[in-house]
Amino acid sequence: MEALYGVLDMLILRTLLFGPLHGYGIAAAIRDSSDEALRIEFGSLYPALKRLELKGWISAKWETSERNRRVKVYRLTPEGRRRLREESSQWSSFVRAVGSIMKPKPGEAGS
Amino acid sequence: MLWRRLPYLLPWHRRAAERDMQEELRALAEMAPPGELGNLTLAAEDARAEWGWTRLEQAAQDLRYAGRALRKSPAFTAAAIVSLAIGIGANSALFTLINTLLWKRLPVRDPEHLFVLATEGARKDYGFTYQQYERFQQHAPVLDYAAYSRVRLNASIDGALEPTLDGQLVTGGYFPLLGLRPALGRLLGPDDDRVPMGHPVAVLAHDYWMRRFGGDPAVVGRTISLSGTPFTIVGVAPAEFFGIDVGSAPQLFAPVMMQPAVMPTTVNLLDRPDVYSTWLRIAGRLRPGVSRAQAAARFEALATVPETDWRPVNKFTLRPDDVGLALESAATGLSDLRRQFSRPLFVLLGVAGLVLLIACANVANLLLARSTARRQEFAVRLALGASRSRLMRQVLVEGLVLAGLAGAAGVALAFWATRALVAAASSGGGAVVLDLSPDVRVLAFTGAVSLLAGLAFGSVPAFRASRTDVSGGARADLAHNRLPAGRRGPGSLLVVCQVAVSLVLLVGAGVFARSLRNLIPTDTDASSTRVLIVRVEPRGSGDRHQPGTAERFDRMYRQLLQDVERIPGVESATLARTSPLAPDSFSFPIALPGVEGGRLVPALIVYPRYFSTMGIRLVRGRDFTAEDMRQPGAVPTVLVNEAFVREFLRGRDPLVPGHGVMQARAERADGKIPRFRFGPGPALNIVGVVHDSRFPALREAAPPTVFQTFLQANTGFAHMVLLVRTAGATGEVARRVRELVQAVDPIVPMFDVHSLADEVNLALVRERLVAALSGVFAGVALVLVCVGLYGVLAFSVACRTREIGLRLALGATPSDVRWMVARHALGIVVTGLALGIPAALVSGRLLTRQLADLVYQLTPGDPLTTAGAALVLLSIAAAAGLLPALRAAHTDPVVALRVE
Repeated sequence: MEALYGVLDMLILRTLLFGPLHGYGIAAAIRDSSDEALRIEFGSLYPALKRLELKGWISAKWETSERNRRVKVYRLTPEGRRRLREESSQWSSFVRAVGSIMKPKPGEAGS
Repeated sequence: MLWRRLPYLLPWHRRAAERDMQEELRALAEMAPPGELGNLTLAAEDARAEWGWTRLEQAAQDLRYAGRALRKSPAFTAAAIVSLAIGIGANSALFTLINTLLWKRLPVRDPEHLFVLATEGARKDYGFTYQQYERFQQHAPVLDYAAYSRVRLNASIDGALEPTLDGQLVTGGYFPLLGLRPALGRLLGPDDDRVPMGHPVAVLAHDYWMRRFGGDPAVVGRTISLSGTPFTIVGVAPAEFFGIDVGSAPQLFAPVMMQPAVMPTTVNLLDRPDVYSTWLRIAGRLRPGVSRAQAAARFEALATVPETDWRPVNKFTLRPDDVGLALESAATGLSDLRRQFSRPLFVLLGVAGLVLLIACANVANLLLARSTARRQEFAVRLALGASRSRLMRQVLVEGLVLAGLAGAAGVALAFWATRALVAAASSGGGAVVLDLSPDVRVLAFTGAVSLLAGLAFGSVPAFRASRTDVSGGARADLAHNRLPAGRRGPGSLLVVCQVAVSLVLLVGAGVFARSLRNLIPTDTDASSTRVLIVRVEPRGSGDRHQPGTAERFDRMYRQLLQDVERIPGVESATLARTSPLAPDSFSFPIALPGVEGGRLVPALIVYPRYFSTMGIRLVRGRDFTAEDMRQPGAVPTVLVNEAFVREFLRGRDPLVPGHGVMQARAERADGKIPRFRFGPGPALNIVGVVHDSRFPALREAAPPTVFQTFLQANTGFAHMVLLVRTAGATGEVARRVRELVQAVDPIVPMFDVHSLADEVNLALVRERLVAALSGVFAGVALVLVCVGLYGVLAFSVACRTREIGLRLALGATPSDVRWMVARHALGIVVTGLALGIPAALVSGRLLTRQLADLVYQLTPGDPLTTAGAALVLLSIAAAAGLLPALRAAHTDPVVALRVE
């Protein structure tokens, strides 16, 4: 469960790895890159952004967008980058562990 | 993480962050497809929670809200705070006293390792002679020792006589042992403890320095004359130091080596091994590497070797008394008050706890009534989305705010009350000085009590508030404070408990008060304020065995009596060996025909007119005459009391020679171990019999007593107590008496002139304190119960207005309605009494076990007291029910029904 708890945080960090984004942009990017499989509620995403900002893993800055709009843009901090590396290695070992359990055993194949 | 959050505690930072967040959300909402972002208000709320101070904010909000709600009903708030403050204050005051007496550490270096020595024989005694002190130092080097002694000092400064000082003689090791630093100059040290009469130096106590010298630093080097000998003031002791004995406060310290100079009435105690006077107390600290057990073993070993045996020799058996030596912790100091008062104080703390409980019940009731009245408000808030836990918390916070305010008021009340109590306890006798400043322990206790009280009375209405029905908010009946079914509610139950508890308190207070009344002597008018008492202790009175001394004192005393009786307003004056309530150690040996050995009978040395001055009736024969006083002769001329006649004369006439009772003479018995035994001597010449008086021990029957004249008595001391019966006001007479007594020997310290009533009061100070306090507590409890009962009845009448109106409209008479309310009141009180009477019996039994000596000539569950208390509560119920019953009866049915 420990691994699942920080999934949202990890997804946000991972999304920001490709470059700074504003709040809605992050939600849209997660949705697009998961082929619409993951729809993160903005209501959960936004508090998570504030939490990560307070932890110092991302930073926020007002910028003017390509459509000449003022938006608040989040980017990864060096500390956030470090966290992401830790989280993803933990995540992959978690996935491996769960996967080996969920692998269909010979006896119950097809059930 | 925390340091990033901290700025959010600042309101302006939070406001800026809020603006920033709103702007961001607005910008996002403009660019995202409509509805895509969901509930933005909720998102913002959750984001705000990430700042981490939501709880604190809500708490602050609750506090503000509670404050506003309480301000809105000032009468309720005041009533709640006052009744709680009394309850909390009483607890805090008693805890302060207990803390000061029992737990406060002495303000000295390492108090945990400070000890005092005590002898343990028939009873514990802390007194030692100087010779014993020297012997311990020499033969038991397991401790670093210091000795001290309380003395009364006749002091004069710049030639003017000061009021008698309370002083302390200390050995050179005293201040170093305690590790004290002087507030000014220096303290006494080993170099002030070398040669008898060689160190005329003194250290002032801080308090005396401030009061008498205004804190003048130039006091060092000044001269103060003690009993005629000039002493140089060398320093001032630290402010917080009041000596090792808790309850007393020495004003001046001088070296023990100066004892002969400052105690002129006694012999030189430093080099008179033949005088067994235990005037010193001994303190000590274990030497490095010595354990407490090792030290105790060393003391035990001392007593087995004749050369080092420190024990006193019994004057009848001529063998060392069978006493042991105990090493007692002095971390909290030494105190007679502790032994005397700790148990009563704990009992009173329990009583105060019950009062607080009653107060809590009252406030809970008030809060309940309020919460019922506020049902609509709660329902609306629930409907608007407030959570039930939030509502509950708010009611609880209101309770805690009340408790906090009451706690603060209680601390102030306790500050005042402790001082008043100590003043009351020391009235008429030696001043009791206690460091009553509230310390951390007292504040923590008061805080905890307030918190508990707040939770106790806050939880009931909080629970009530949490059950508020949302849909009910709109219902009309709630608007009119109608109670739902089961209209008696928890309010009545609380009052039932109050009645029960206050019955227990009332019975307790009644038993204490009646015990006190039984103890105060009424047969003679002995407790009169018209009898003045002052001790006379001229120089040399400590050793009257010097040739001619007794005769010299006798002449002096007869002259004094003549002078005193010449004062206008004096009816009679006399002298006695001790004041009436002081137990006398002096005894008279008698021998009875046909009985082996002798008996020691309490004896009192008196001058003529003792009995008339004291108001003791002469039953037969006559008083002493001037003629009797002059005879030191062989035939003992005495008076006896009725107890003596009953016990020893067996029907023979005491006034006729041949009654057979003799004075006993000590004889040396044969055998290896010298032993004295009593043999028959001259027959007693009994010239009169007096009524048994209640003195000296108020709670015991008078022992058989012999009254003797001054010259015939065989005692080493010559000091006496002057007793003066005045015709009316004593003020002016007291002043003249004082002058005459001081004139007998201007060099000796003067004792207080006080009245016999003062002495009785002092002897009964514990009983008076307990009776007065429990009486006050019971009174407070009654008022609270009355208010509580009134509140419940009035509220129930208000809620039932429509029902009552309907009844009246349907033909009920006003008296039916009055009876309905009275039945409610009666039901509560009778149920309360039914619970309270067994509780009072049980607690009475417990109390008697705890405070057997405070209950006098009464059984624990004294039926008369219990019946009286029940009656008082019933009349309280009647008083409380009167107004609501009348109001109910005057309900106008039309108006009542129109309310709908």
